[in-house]
Amino acid sequence: MTSIAHLEVAFKKFSPQFLKVAGFAVAVCALASAQSLPQVHLDAAGLAPRPIEELTGTTIARHYAMAWRDLAEALESGRARVLGDEFTGIAKDRLARRIGEQNHAGLRARIVDHGHQLKAVFYSTDGSAMQLIDQADLEIQIYDGNKLIDTQNAPQQYMVLMTPGADRWYVRDLEEVSAKAF
Amino acid sequence: MQRTTHSDFALRNCLAGWVLLGILSAGAGAAELHVPATVEAGQSFSIPAEGSGQATLYFLGPDHVVKRSVTLGGDLAIQSGDVRAAGRYRAILCDSSSCTSAAFQVEAAKPAHLSFFLRPSRVPVSTPQSIDATAFVFDQYFNLVLTPAVVNFRITPESGAGFSRQGSTQKGVAWMRLDSTPHEGRVQVTAVLGNVEEARVIQQVAAEACGLRMKAVPNGNAVTLETDPVRDCSGNALPDGTVVSFTKVDREGKSTVDTPIKKGVARAQFSLHGPAQIGVACGVVLGNEVALNGKL
Repeated sequence: MTSIAHLEVAFKKFSPQFLKVAGFAVAVCALASAQSLPQVHLDAAGLAPRPIEELTGTTIARHYAMAWRDLAEALESGRARVLGDEFTGIAKDRLARRIGEQNHAGLRARIVDHGHQLKAVFYSTDGSAMQLIDQADLEIQIYDGNKLIDTQNAPQQYMVLMTPGADRWYVRDLEEVSAKAF
Repeated sequence: MQRTTHSDFALRNCLAGWVLLGILSAGAGAAELHVPATVEAGQSFSIPAEGSGQATLYFLGPDHVVKRSVTLGGDLAIQSGDVRAAGRYRAILCDSSSCTSAAFQVEAAKPAHLSFFLRPSRVPVSTPQSIDATAFVFDQYFNLVLTPAVVNFRITPESGAGFSRQGSTQKGVAWMRLDSTPHEGRVQVTAVLGNVEEARVIQQVAAEACGLRMKAVPNGNAVTLETDPVRDCSGNALPDGTVVSFTKVDREGKSTVDTPIKKGVARAQFSLHGPAQIGVACGVVLGNEVALNGKL
């Protein structure tokens, strides 16, 4: 991963005080992992049926960025266990299977992450699930051993389902969808 | 004698160059891959591969990776098990000199599972917009079905008439707020989509007390207080254990007794020190007041 960490959370109704706090949190996060976290910009304007809480927005952006960092590391290194901190459920199962089969075939994938425009589209009233659409700018390189066999370099769109855990939001479903899906 | 001008000569050389370049390109490049734009999850299909000789096919999806040797000039069979997860897939074909690739989309199959959430687990009766129903629609491989569909929420109370409401999915999710019905007891809510059903049960409980009244029976220097059966405005009895507060103000000051409802009524006893005012309350609801040694 070569991208520089930078987290941004954009909400329409943020108070100036929150912006200061969020700015601080973002700065701390950026300093803490400047070489690893990809850019994630979260837009939660008009979210229904429940509005997003300020802290939740910051947490989701941070953990989604961490999820992509871990995913990129797992796909490149072939170590599925690094997925456990940020992924759960079917997303974790599918990615673990993919990495296992990738290892078996002697392949690896390298993701150059240029950032994510994340749009929250559904937040359940009890706060147990959030659905988001990610416009990701990725370059994905596929290697067979050390030989580069393919490069994809086009905007990608993902449907994301995140659910809260004890101290974080997990990525529970991550499906790449066609641009014409919506 | 045919004359060849400078321009004819240049044109011929140019054409010959393009033909030679074409031949060299065809020899050096990997075979073309013609993939379908979209495929339904779990459906087998084939990819025609032009050319001849041996090549390596790489097939990469969200949860599946295949690498196998193939013979060009025929169809490359993709099994149903290779495309179960929805998402973007990449087919890469490499011969000895180069690789070519193509991408296609696997979309969810028809709905087969509903992930249904109903909140809260207990709700007061006759409360508008108090029940939240959310249904995520998945296919048999647990891909989110993004094609819009209509989910029917069927409400079946323990007593009284049932009803249903419809909601359309947006990006695979249908949600709705429902009113609770007037009678306490179990309420089953069933999300229905085609022949897929998923049921959940919540408990409707009595709402706040309504028309709370007590009577006082003096007995020497004491008084025994007892409420009428405590009910909500729909006539549902408040459950035993609900706390009722009796408050007495007399010469000695103010004292309060909190007591749970037992068998539908709440009882308390106070000692009296001269004239007294006694009130009763349950939650946010105030009942009648009793003045002893005076008028009721």
